[in-house]
Amino acid sequence: MAAFTGASSTTLISPPHLSRQCLASTRISGLKMVSFSNSGKSNLPVSFRRLQISCAAKPETVEKVCNIVKKQLALKDDVSVAGDSKFATLGADSLDTVEIVMALEEAFGITVEEESAQSIATVQDAADLIEKLCEKDSA
Amino acid sequence: MAFAMRVKVPPNSATLQEARHRTFDFFRAACRSIPSIMDIYNLYDVVTPSQLRSTIAAEIRKNAHITNPKVIDMLLFKGMEELSNITEHAKQRHHIIGQYVVGNQGLVQDVATKDENISKFLKNFYKTNYF
Repeated sequence: MAAFTGASSTTLISPPHLSRQCLASTRISGLKMVSFSNSGKSNLPVSFRRLQISCAAKPETVEKVCNIVKKQLALKDDVSVAGDSKFATLGADSLDTVEIVMALEEAFGITVEEESAQSIATVQDAADLIEKLCEKDSA
Repeated sequence: MAFAMRVKVPPNSATLQEARHRTFDFFRAACRSIPSIMDIYNLYDVVTPSQLRSTIAAEIRKNAHITNPKVIDMLLFKGMEELSNITEHAKQRHHIIGQYVVGNQGLVQDVATKDENISKFLKNFYKTNYF
């Protein structure tokens, strides 16, 4: 546990060695969680220490994804695209989904692997995946 | 003869699911090569990458009703051949523009102003026998 930094403020960046296993479980639930880091002085007992890793996508990323989805599926302006709307309900077939992923790849400058691309079903999934890849690129 | 021996054909897909998978792989490969295609043929002022993506998707969708995996494999082989011809600059700019940019309404002379006043009947008549 010495890996935690001494910063006393809450951080939103997940520690790398925890990110993988927690993102896998939390991405499915899609909940927003905030991480607390140790105050650095003494190690608190395990019962008091709550470790939660954040995996929320930033709102502007979700906004960008929504715009791309709208343009791709040629939706009218009154159709609302929220974080949890599935692509299938918006009228996209599987080829549309792949096309949307490619459009996101181009817009954000990332490369999505094949297995990750198969698991994208909603707008929130796509936004989270983009965040994860952008973090990995900038790290 | 030598060319036929050089091209390796992967074994046929066993199921429709595998053929779908190969279709998406082909689509992804095509989309990833769009930037280099636009660079080779200098299409920056003519078309945007998203328009090219939708053209490719439309071509794939034209055959979306096929259910025989072997036919799908054959179509993918032809698609890969076309894609490699384009990326290795075996085609020229007017080929790309005519086949993938101008679209399905017709060739450039139909899009021009001369034909805008002809009647709908004539347009349909030129297009097809059955309307």
